[in-house]
Amino acid sequence: MAEEEEDPGFDEDLDDGGNGVDSGQGKRKRLFSKELRCMMYGFGDDQNPYTESVDILEDLVIEFITEMTHKAMSIGRQGRVQVEDIVFLIRKDPRKFARVKDLLTMNEELKKARKAFDEANYGS
Amino acid sequence: MADPDRVKPEDRVEQKGLGSGDAPGSGGVSNEPAAGHSRPKEEGKARSEDAAAAGEEDEEGSSLHPSPAKKLKMEQDKKKEKRQKVDEDEIQKMQVLVSSFSEEQLNRYEMYRRSAFPKAAIKRLVQSITGSSVSQNVVIAMSGISKVFAGEIVEEALDVCEKWGDTPPLQPKHMREAVRRLKSREQIPNTKHKHILFH
Repeated sequence: MAEEEEDPGFDEDLDDGGNGVDSGQGKRKRLFSKELRCMMYGFGDDQNPYTESVDILEDLVIEFITEMTHKAMSIGRQGRVQVEDIVFLIRKDPRKFARVKDLLTMNEELKKARKAFDEANYGS
Repeated sequence: MADPDRVKPEDRVEQKGLGSGDAPGSGGVSNEPAAGHSRPKEEGKARSEDAAAAGEEDEEGSSLHPSPAKKLKMEQDKKKEKRQKVDEDEIQKMQVLVSSFSEEQLNRYEMYRRSAFPKAAIKRLVQSITGSSVSQNVVIAMSGISKVFAGEIVEEALDVCEKWGDTPPLQPKHMREAVRRLKSREQIPNTKHKHILFH
């Protein structure tokens, strides 16, 4: 896991195993502060959410991603994370399942549209 | 808080799932004795052509009930049309709704639609966990469900906040109670506590 990162503290804390959700992740830099604020406002919170709440939510999201990644690594092709594994893990949750299906479908359509556009430009 | 975008996605998924099960294999299964009966290509005209060509054979297709294969195809076509119509209805309803938003609601809706996790950070995070590289689709899927996950927590926390007679902005105690509730509904994955039933 020795990747070149501009923030070595991030890797260290991950290897540490973390401190648990409630007490915060120690020295790790906040990854999603700005985006999470906008997201919380969009989902119904105040325009300026409390920083502590944003921190708690960030820890929860990172824990969620970590759990999903570990689960995905253990099913299907071991040691790798593939889309099919994620879809399988999410199958019982209707909202997330529908969202993933929509996103992947839209991505395919966008790729096709871009390809057609590029070919049209190349031709002329 | 009403989530206008959360307009019955389950229905859409189910309908899409049914629609994609279009069985082209109806040709082999059909027990129509019609030799010169040309299979109509235009969906939806099947019934009228059936009635027209009914004089040919003595099949049950005298427009009272068509043969099972045709019936299946017609049902699927109807479902596909219905699904397209439902999509259009949904789009129209959304347009009517959004056009009647106040400015504050418009701001909030714009934030709701536009906010997203940065793909680079998600990719870095997942790659640091797996130790190997991941495809772009994985990043797209992961950031998508993470946003839904964050939304579920915030909505639950808002419920808690309202129930306790507080006002937004949300406080950590609301968030923690929301997490506790979601955990009891098993909506939060937790592989740390393994309860071994028989050992």
